[in-house]
Amino acid sequence: EKEELIEEWQPEPLVPPVPKDHPALNYNIVSGPPTHIITVNGKECINFASFNFLGLLDNEKVKTAAQTSLKKYGVGTCGPRGFYGTFDVHLELEERLAKFMRTEEAIIYSYGFATIASAIPAYSKRGDIVFVDEAACFAIQKGLQASRSNIKLFKHNDMADLERLLKEQETEDQKNPRKARVTRRFIVVEGLYMNTGDICPLPELIKLKYKYKVRIFLEESLSFGVLGEHGRGITEHFGINIDDIDLISANMENSLASIGGFCCGRSFIIDHQRLSGQGYCFSASLPPLLAAAAIEALNIMEDNPGIFQTLRAKCERIHKALQG
Amino acid sequence: MANPNAVCNGHLHHHHHQKQNNLLKSGIYKKNGITKGMKKNGVSNGTLYKKTFIEHFEQAPMYVAVLTFLGFGVGTVFGYLRDFMRAWGLEKRHIAAEREQQKDFVPLYQDFENFYTRNLYMRIRDNWNRPICSVPGPQFDLMERVTDDYNWTFRFTGRIIKNVINMGSYNYLGFAETDVNALKTVTIELQKYGTGICSTRQEMGTLDKHVELEKLVAKFLGVEDAMVFGMGFATNSMNIPALVGKGCLILSDELNHTSLVLGARLSGATIRIFKHNNMQSLEKLLRDAIIYGQPRSHRAWRKIIILVEGIYSMEGSIVRLPEIVSLKKKYKAYLYLDEAHSIGAVGASGRGVVEYFGMNPDDVDVLMGTFTKSFGAAGGYIAGKKDLVDFLRTHSHSAVYATSMCPAVAEQIIRAMKCLMGQDGTTQGLQRVRQLGKNTRYFRRRLHEMGFIIYGNDDSPVVPLLLYMPGKIGAFARRMLEKNIGVVVVGFPATPITESRARFCVSAAHTREMLDTVLNALDELGDFLQLKYSRYSKASHPELYEETRLELED
Repeated sequence: EKEELIEEWQPEPLVPPVPKDHPALNYNIVSGPPTHIITVNGKECINFASFNFLGLLDNEKVKTAAQTSLKKYGVGTCGPRGFYGTFDVHLELEERLAKFMRTEEAIIYSYGFATIASAIPAYSKRGDIVFVDEAACFAIQKGLQASRSNIKLFKHNDMADLERLLKEQETEDQKNPRKARVTRRFIVVEGLYMNTGDICPLPELIKLKYKYKVRIFLEESLSFGVLGEHGRGITEHFGINIDDIDLISANMENSLASIGGFCCGRSFIIDHQRLSGQGYCFSASLPPLLAAAAIEALNIMEDNPGIFQTLRAKCERIHKALQG
Repeated sequence: MANPNAVCNGHLHHHHHQKQNNLLKSGIYKKNGITKGMKKNGVSNGTLYKKTFIEHFEQAPMYVAVLTFLGFGVGTVFGYLRDFMRAWGLEKRHIAAEREQQKDFVPLYQDFENFYTRNLYMRIRDNWNRPICSVPGPQFDLMERVTDDYNWTFRFTGRIIKNVINMGSYNYLGFAETDVNALKTVTIELQKYGTGICSTRQEMGTLDKHVELEKLVAKFLGVEDAMVFGMGFATNSMNIPALVGKGCLILSDELNHTSLVLGARLSGATIRIFKHNNMQSLEKLLRDAIIYGQPRSHRAWRKIIILVEGIYSMEGSIVRLPEIVSLKKKYKAYLYLDEAHSIGAVGASGRGVVEYFGMNPDDVDVLMGTFTKSFGAAGGYIAGKKDLVDFLRTHSHSAVYATSMCPAVAEQIIRAMKCLMGQDGTTQGLQRVRQLGKNTRYFRRRLHEMGFIIYGNDDSPVVPLLLYMPGKIGAFARRMLEKNIGVVVVGFPATPITESRARFCVSAAHTREMLDTVLNALDELGDFLQLKYSRYSKASHPELYEETRLELED
């Protein structure tokens, strides 16, 4: 009888069939470098689609730095950070990023998506509570899913809604103080939201942080190198002390025209990820030519603070023109 | 051919293991070495294996286990003592502390979670994260690093230790090189495309380089189509959720890599674990799953998928692919094979475990692998039938949200693959694969002769050497560095707590002299630290062993 059951069972096909004219199947193939003038499917177009905010993709100095690094180190690192995959370029990049952002320490990941998706589960475990904006990007959602914590969504950029949720949590805590003493609480927000293009109201968040004793994780992928007088992101934009934010995570794939991501903050917090960040410990490190390119891009950012003003002026012009 | 059996039995060194009989860690079986397959593994699947499948998992004598536990016990006692002294202020706190303003927040880390890190890991921390400053080829340059306060902080003296033999990097075919000729095309592409992409695959991120690379990967593996991603870890964690969901069953091996475990968890399917490489356990799980269905509703499962790896990086064992494929066909499950370590490293022409066992790549539903290990680049791929890859192009999280691969890195993979396939006009690719095979077999044979306990299959370039005791982990790695050899040691939590090991990665770029240097150093160190636990050392009759080896080779 059991044999019959085995014979009869039919699984679903491994993948459902996809219609042949699905748009994603017919990619736009870009030939040549994806810079401001981009050749898509053979046609030359002006590129308004890549996240090349500072225009560093075809910068000669960045390319030269990458070439020198290629000659010295080859392409890949052939190992995770713990097993001879740490190069002096990685250490240098971490120091430079920490100095640039004026924090104690920084840690580098080899892929932008993996940065926030590994950082959140390293701190927030099952039973902890995370307050997240509704419009959080996909990487944050995956990080939250991997962490198995309780997730509470608040309306996009709505501080009143967040305060309501925090108050509810407080009343819950008073019912069970012993549990409340060990449940960690976090707020995860983005500096510049990928899905809506808004900036989060950071000063109010800081006030809420100290009032309700929650820690803030800030995801600055789009705002790093864009907001702020010197490009340091939303903390500089609002003039907030960077130590007030527990963890800043960003990826280097937008403004820095490289690949990878980094987290920066106080050593107390960042050092933990060196042993428990899954995308850090169990994955090969960033190829040194990309790290050298990022260092060179940082140099350019530090030497020419004028580019941020130019970027802002252009943004305002386009917004005004589009809004009529 | 009758003689090899007699000599073989006299020599106690052939460990033909079958986990199937669950007598895994308790000794040896004397089996026929070379017959045409009938009595190979004692089961009727003997005809599936075309060559001998020899794996070793010897267990150490009892006194070793006792001493290991004793070592950990002493470490724990001292750990509690130190914590007590720190709490009472008798000893300085070395780790960073929370901010003054945030002292009344809920503590970020539980004290006990970090107990192991603070007290046991800190003592031997200098053996990991060693920074290097040259290409990770067969030899590299290490930056000298000293500590003034017992590993709490490190300081670089500025000196560089040159030409340390590299037994730690995953450089199986030796493609991590800086030879100007080899990297010519990579240099050109880097100049042309720059370093970044700043876009995802479905937006402006698909370059013509990616299309070229995908076609090449599909041709290399002998499948219909392939898709490449920017990071190997992310390939697993973002594509398994696209393939399975709620209502599906995942059967995953005990020792699967974190990326596979994370992908399985993120998918929301039910996960069941079978014992490492144990076909009986897997079959039982399959039967139970089909007969009893989902846990509460007893409805039939939507899909069953088996997750295995080609070579397991901590054990050095190779998956039993023929048996799994026959099981999969019988029970109509799907197979996901992660060839992170085995692509390029095993197989007659470097095409992975599928070629190693002489099987058809169509039998495996999803072939996944990474380019970090054998190709000296970064990134991952998934290959298989065209329907599968089309589906992934549209539904994979990575295609929609994550950046695509850097074009210079893609070019490195293209040139390495062309070299392997022989398309660049030389036989260098095949030479590398053969050299790797020779190096692997030589290295393993010598280590067995010396009497160390080595895990894993005879053909896998990952060689774990068992150390067991926590004190020896630190001693081994430091002494090897003094002799100018860089090794990787692993302990808990990557391995079971009593089985800490040193892991060697043999590379095609290692010359015979380098391997001999390493082996001599291991010999000396093995005697000094008493690491030669194996009870079946062959050192007593080396000349007889040589003879049988010649006879046994067809």
